[in-house]
Amino acid sequence: MPDDQSRQFPADQFPADTAFSSVERRLVAYLVALWRLRVPIRHAKPDAAGNPPRRVSLSDGLIWMPGTFRGVDGHRSGALFRAALVHAGAHLRFTGPRFPAAGLKPLQLALVSLIEDARVEQLAMREHPGLLRVWRPFHVAEPDGAGTAPALMARLARALIDPDYRDDDAWVAKGRRLFFAAESDWHSPALSRRIGGLLGNDLGQMRVQFNSKDHVVEPAYRDDNIGLWDHGEAPPSPPSDAETVFEAFRTEQEERDRGRPDDQVGEGATPARLSATDVPARAVGEEEITAPPVRYPEWDYRVGIDRPDWVVLNERRSEPGDPAAIARIVERHQATADRLTALVRSAKVSRPVRLRRQPEGDRMDLDACIDAMVSHRRGEAPDPRVHEVLVRRNRDLSVLLLLDVSASTGDPVAGGGRSVLSVEREAATLFAQALDGLGDPFAIHAFRSNGRQDVSYYRIKAFRQPYDDAARGRLAGLKAGLSTRLGTALRHAGRLLERQATHRRLLLVVTDGEPSDIDVADRRYLLDDARRAVLGLAARGIDCFVIGLDPQGRDYLTRMFGARNVMVIDRADKLPEVLPTFYLRLST
Amino acid sequence: MALDAHRIPEEPYYRPVAGEVALFEAAYAARMPMMLKGPTGCGKTRFIEHMAWRLGRPLVTVACHEDMTASDLVGRFLLDPGGTVWHDGPLTQAVRHGAICYLDEIVEARQDTTVVIHPLTDARRILPLEKRNELVQAHPDFQLVISYNPGYQSVLKDLKESTKQRFAAIEFGYPNATVEAEIVAHESGVDANVAALLVRIAASSRNLKGHGLQEGVSTRMLIHAGRLAAQGIALETACRIALVLPITDDADVRDAFSAAVSAAIA
Repeated sequence: MPDDQSRQFPADQFPADTAFSSVERRLVAYLVALWRLRVPIRHAKPDAAGNPPRRVSLSDGLIWMPGTFRGVDGHRSGALFRAALVHAGAHLRFTGPRFPAAGLKPLQLALVSLIEDARVEQLAMREHPGLLRVWRPFHVAEPDGAGTAPALMARLARALIDPDYRDDDAWVAKGRRLFFAAESDWHSPALSRRIGGLLGNDLGQMRVQFNSKDHVVEPAYRDDNIGLWDHGEAPPSPPSDAETVFEAFRTEQEERDRGRPDDQVGEGATPARLSATDVPARAVGEEEITAPPVRYPEWDYRVGIDRPDWVVLNERRSEPGDPAAIARIVERHQATADRLTALVRSAKVSRPVRLRRQPEGDRMDLDACIDAMVSHRRGEAPDPRVHEVLVRRNRDLSVLLLLDVSASTGDPVAGGGRSVLSVEREAATLFAQALDGLGDPFAIHAFRSNGRQDVSYYRIKAFRQPYDDAARGRLAGLKAGLSTRLGTALRHAGRLLERQATHRRLLLVVTDGEPSDIDVADRRYLLDDARRAVLGLAARGIDCFVIGLDPQGRDYLTRMFGARNVMVIDRADKLPEVLPTFYLRLST
Repeated sequence: MALDAHRIPEEPYYRPVAGEVALFEAAYAARMPMMLKGPTGCGKTRFIEHMAWRLGRPLVTVACHEDMTASDLVGRFLLDPGGTVWHDGPLTQAVRHGAICYLDEIVEARQDTTVVIHPLTDARRILPLEKRNELVQAHPDFQLVISYNPGYQSVLKDLKESTKQRFAAIEFGYPNATVEAEIVAHESGVDANVAALLVRIAASSRNLKGHGLQEGVSTRMLIHAGRLAAQGIALETACRIALVLPITDDADVRDAFSAAVSAAIA
C-alpha cells in the first residue's frame, strides 16, 4: 500500500536496522496515546533450544518483545514493531479472560486465535480507523496461494482486515461472511470461540495438513496467542506461568546488570544482595585511601570540651559500579526528571530582576524621572539616577550533598523491596541531573565510620569534577556498611565546602537514623557532637539542612540541625522526588 | 463613561458545560472575588468575557507578568506641563467605575505585587492609593476575578496562602467529547464529523500527559487545527502544524503523537 504509507508523517520513518530498544520509548508513548496503556515490555529471551523468539508474546500482563524480527529489513522492522505493539495493545484492551483450551484441537486453537486477532483489531479500528494502515501492509497473502492450512489461514487473516482483498476460496469466503455478519457481536470474545470452532471443523474436514509444532502465526506482527489460552493444570506449551515469572525476574536482573554480570550493586539492589556475602573483595578497611588522614576534634558534652584531634578521617575511593545503572535510574524516573528539567529551566533563566534608580541603564525608570522632575521644579538638585536595567539574577550558590551510607541504609524501605541506599542513590542521581542542568557547583559525598580512628569519606563527585560516567560509576558503586559518626563527616564536608567562592554555601545531609558508632555507648554523645559541628558550620556561613528518612527522627534531627533545617519524609521512596525540589525551593 | 472601550458589545460565544454560568452569576451577585482554575486553552478567558457581556459590565483584563509592579496595577504619577498628574492603573479604573477586573495568570506576577489586591478582596472592598494618599471605595459593581493554572504550578510560582484564601473558585477542564466537538465545530467552521475526530485526537494527546507531555492538546489548539482544515488544508497536515509540532520538542513523544493522529484518521 505505497499510497497509504506515504500518508504517514516523515517523522514516522525508522532508521535502517531497527532494534526494538531504539524505538521502544516512542512506541511505548504511542500505546499510551492510543489507549492510556502502560504495559511493562520485556525483551524476550531465546527458547531452550537457543532460537530467538519469532513472535511477540503476551503473558501475565507483560509484553515480551523480540529484540529483532528475523528476515525483515531495517525500514520495515520499525513499522513491524509498531504494528506488533499496537496489536498486543489491542489484545490487552479488548481480549477478556483466557479461553479454556480443554477439548479443542490444535487447528481449532489456531483458528479461534486468528478470529480473536481479527476481532480485537476491528474493535481497535473502530476507535482508531487509521490503524488499518499500520497493519494492512503486513498482510501479503494472495488468493492464488497454495491450499495448505497456513496459507489458507493467512488468506483468511487478510480477508478479515483488508476490505479490498478478493478471495474466491469457499472456506475463506465463509469465514469472512460469518465474521462480518456478526459485526454487532464483535464486542463479545465468545464470538471468536464460535466462529473459530466452526472454521476449524471445516478445515479439518478438508483434510489439509496442519502441523501445530511448526505453526507460526502470520502475519509477523501478530503475537503467538499463547496468552489467550488457559490450558488448565497441565500446560502443554511453554512458557508456563512459573517459568514466565522466573523469566521476568531474570530479565530484570539481566537488564540491571547488562554487560556486567558481576556488578553486585544494581540500582534495584535488594538487601540480600548487600549482605555480608556481597561486600567487595577488598574489605572496607582496605579500600584505596586517596588523601592523607585528617584529624578532627570531637565535642564531649560530659566535660564540655572539644577533644582535640580525636577522630581520624580517611578519604577513600570505593569500587566503581556500572554508570549505565545510573542512566537507567533516570529512565525509570523519567516523569520526575522531566518535571525537574522544567523547574530547573525556570529556576535558571526566568529570574530577571529590575534594578531601579540606576545611574545608567537601557531604559528610563519612570518613577525616578518623575521624582527628578518634581525636585527640579521645586528648585532642588534632582537625583541623576533615573535609569533602570534588567539583569538576570545570577545564581551564586554551591551545594554539597552528604549521604549516609552506614549499615542501616542496607535495610529495605517500608513497603518496598529496595534498600534505603538504593533510594538514596536514586535521589542523588536526580539531584545531580538537576544540578548539572542548573549549573550550580555541586558535590556529592558519602560517609560511614568504624570507630573514632576510622571515619571513611567518599567523594563521589567533587566540586571540580564534571558529572560524568566516572562520577556515575562511583555513585552506582556505593555500598552500605558500618556506622554513622555524623559530626566528623559534617566537619570535613564543611571544610571542603568552605573553599567554594560562592555567596551561599549549602550542605544537604541525607540520613536514615541517628548518629552512632561502635565505640560510643552514650546516645547523646554523638548527637551533641553533630549539633556542635552544625553550629560551627553556621558560624562559618554554611547552611546545613537535613532530610531524615526515619519517620520518628524529627526529635533528634531537630536537636542536631535546628527545627527550621529539618525535613522528615515519612516514605523514604519519595526521596528521589523530594530532594531536588527541596533544593530548588531552598535556593530560589 | 470612562470604561466604554472595555464594554463588550456582542455576545462572545461560550458553551456552558456544568452550570458555571449560574455559579458565576450568584458569585457576582455577592460580589465575591472569583478564581478560575484550569489548564490552558480550556475557555477561562472566553468565559469571563461572556459573563461580562451577560452581566453588562465592562471588563478590564490585565495579563500578569513577572516584571509587573504594584504601580502597573494601581497607577502612578505622570508629568504634564503643569506638574504631576495621577494616572489610574487598570485595577484602579475598574475599582472606581465598577468593572470586572480580570487578572489573567496571576501566578506569573510576583507575590509582593499581588498583595495590593488584598484590601479589595475582603469585607473592606477598598483600594488604598498610598502615593496619592487616597482611599478608593470600590464601586458597587466592581468584581475581581483571577485566573490560575494549577498545571504549571511549581515550587517557584504559586499564590500566597493569604491570597488564595480570598477567592471562591470555579474549576474548568476540557469539556466532554460531545460538547468539545460542538465548540470546535462552532468556532472553527469544520463539520461535526471532523470536529469529533479532532476531539478524539485530543484525547490521545491527553493520554500522554505525564508520559512525556506537560499538558494535553487544549480546546484552543483544536480550534486552530479546525480553522486550518476549514480552509482546505488536509486534516493530517493541519493537525501536524497546529497540534503536534507546537506541543513538544521531544522527538519520541512527537512521533508517538503523530502516529496516534494517523491512527485516528481513516
